[in-house]
Amino acid sequence: MRKFKDLLLGLLLFTCTLVSLGIAGGLFWAITRRGLPALSVSFFTEQIRLVGADGGIFWNLIGTVILLASAFCFTTPCAVGIALLERVWIRSPKWRQFLRLALYTMNGLPSIVFGIFGFIVFVKWCGWGKSWLAGGIVLAMSMLPTVTIVLIERIAGVPAKYVEAAAALGLSKSQVVWAVLLRQSWGGIIAGSLLGLARAAGETAPIMFTATIFAGATFPRAIAESPVLTLPYHIFILAQDSFAPAVGTKLWGAALVLLGLVFSLSLAALPSRLRLHEESNV
Amino acid sequence: MTRAFSWLFSSVAFLSVLLLAGVFFRASLPVWQQEGAAYVTGHQWFYRQHQFGALSLIYGSIVVSLIALLLAGPLGLGTALFVAEYLPRRLRLAVKLPIELLAGIPSVVYGLLGILLLRDWVYDVFERFEPLSGDTLLTAGILLAIMLLPTVVSLCEDAFRSIPSAQRRAARALGLTRAETIWCVCLPQAWQGITSAFLLALGRALGETVAVFLVVGRQDNNLPTNWLSPSPWLQAGQTLTSKLGSSETNIAYGDPLHWSAIMGLGVLLLLLTGGITLLGTLRRNRNA
Repeated sequence: MRKFKDLLLGLLLFTCTLVSLGIAGGLFWAITRRGLPALSVSFFTEQIRLVGADGGIFWNLIGTVILLASAFCFTTPCAVGIALLERVWIRSPKWRQFLRLALYTMNGLPSIVFGIFGFIVFVKWCGWGKSWLAGGIVLAMSMLPTVTIVLIERIAGVPAKYVEAAAALGLSKSQVVWAVLLRQSWGGIIAGSLLGLARAAGETAPIMFTATIFAGATFPRAIAESPVLTLPYHIFILAQDSFAPAVGTKLWGAALVLLGLVFSLSLAALPSRLRLHEESNV
Repeated sequence: MTRAFSWLFSSVAFLSVLLLAGVFFRASLPVWQQEGAAYVTGHQWFYRQHQFGALSLIYGSIVVSLIALLLAGPLGLGTALFVAEYLPRRLRLAVKLPIELLAGIPSVVYGLLGILLLRDWVYDVFERFEPLSGDTLLTAGILLAIMLLPTVVSLCEDAFRSIPSAQRRAARALGLTRAETIWCVCLPQAWQGITSAFLLALGRALGETVAVFLVVGRQDNNLPTNWLSPSPWLQAGQTLTSKLGSSETNIAYGDPLHWSAIMGLGVLLLLLTGGITLLGTLRRNRNA
């Protein structure tokens, strides 16, 4: 009887794993199979035509890259600042823990909330209308916790003897920060940013009220009233509206490209993440 | 200098989050003044008549998230147990990688999969309950379950991995079978981690917008007459997030009361997700 129960639980758990793997495999297969026929060189270089039924996604890609680049510029200094605060400047463990708790809670806030915040502040109060800069700032807010948490882990992984050696040489605290902590953990800044960007690249909710429109935008030349086209919003609108087969293929193609973008960003972060575990803190 | 800049940038970041909370609370004041508690308990949402009762939205959010958790919880827990307790170290990565990759799929792509595949499937499978379309609370719940799966699996697996293997060896040495070891050692030891994983997943589910928006049907004022029967799950509904993401947010800005009702939904969402995430994180930290 005990043996039987043992076997039964093993089988049950094995089935769970199979189902999970099946779901993962099935989804990737479904997207790839439908998206691959749409991919061609012209899909990447042409602009959208006939409400998505023809042409490509050139400006959508450019727009997504613009948003990601500006989000990166806003997040990095804030993430470095918060991480240094947590690791170096705040000495009381209680406040450190409070800071970390705040970061984790912020990480759990829904991205639509950031989107509506951006809508109020930038679109209405600042009177920018839909603007790439507003989108960049809002995306920066939604990815900030991810970047900071990775960076904190990374700085914590810098061997203590490095810091001690630097202090013994008479370096001041901020010299230690620049010469040891940040120098040793710049890989963490890159890895964290890539992970954050991977998350931000697929976000639709924060940018749909603040930064992006479906068609008719190219390269933004100002801040106010200069929206961009983006991949996620493109998919979002087409998914609701259109059931023409030609649109369907283009739609899956766009989804596959977005997926490729997100995965290559997180894959690029992988080597630096793996090195983190090799360095032991002795 | 460095110190000043650290403080400067950190305070910019945290002040903007505080500003966010402040803006939402401040802007939602008028609707609390007008509707009072009826804002949360009322079930009539007609913005042209200036009636704002958010109960059906809260109901939608909770039902969708609970369905998702009921499906993803056991499945994810089972997978995590199998990965942590049965698989040899080398195979772990091979199983975990595809599941972790699921977490990277953008929610709009999940929404697309929901619209083009899951919706028809739900309609066909549950045909005898006569759903009006495939856009139902259940569809949104199933879709969310898939999105939560990687969160549940990886957090639960962390919880199991943090149990010292000496305890497992001791249990096996006492003659317990593998199943009994799991039941008597692993599950009780990892219990905090598991509940924390479920809470964090629930917080994520409540806040998910785009994927739910695309498949939930977005029908206002749809409360079930019989609360215990699951058949209303096969009706279209509306969640807090799908309302916030709809074009009503754009329309509402001109009208102070309507806008404050929309902001009030944001406040409810912030309190729910923030509170649940905080609880989950606290449990997780205590465990570690």
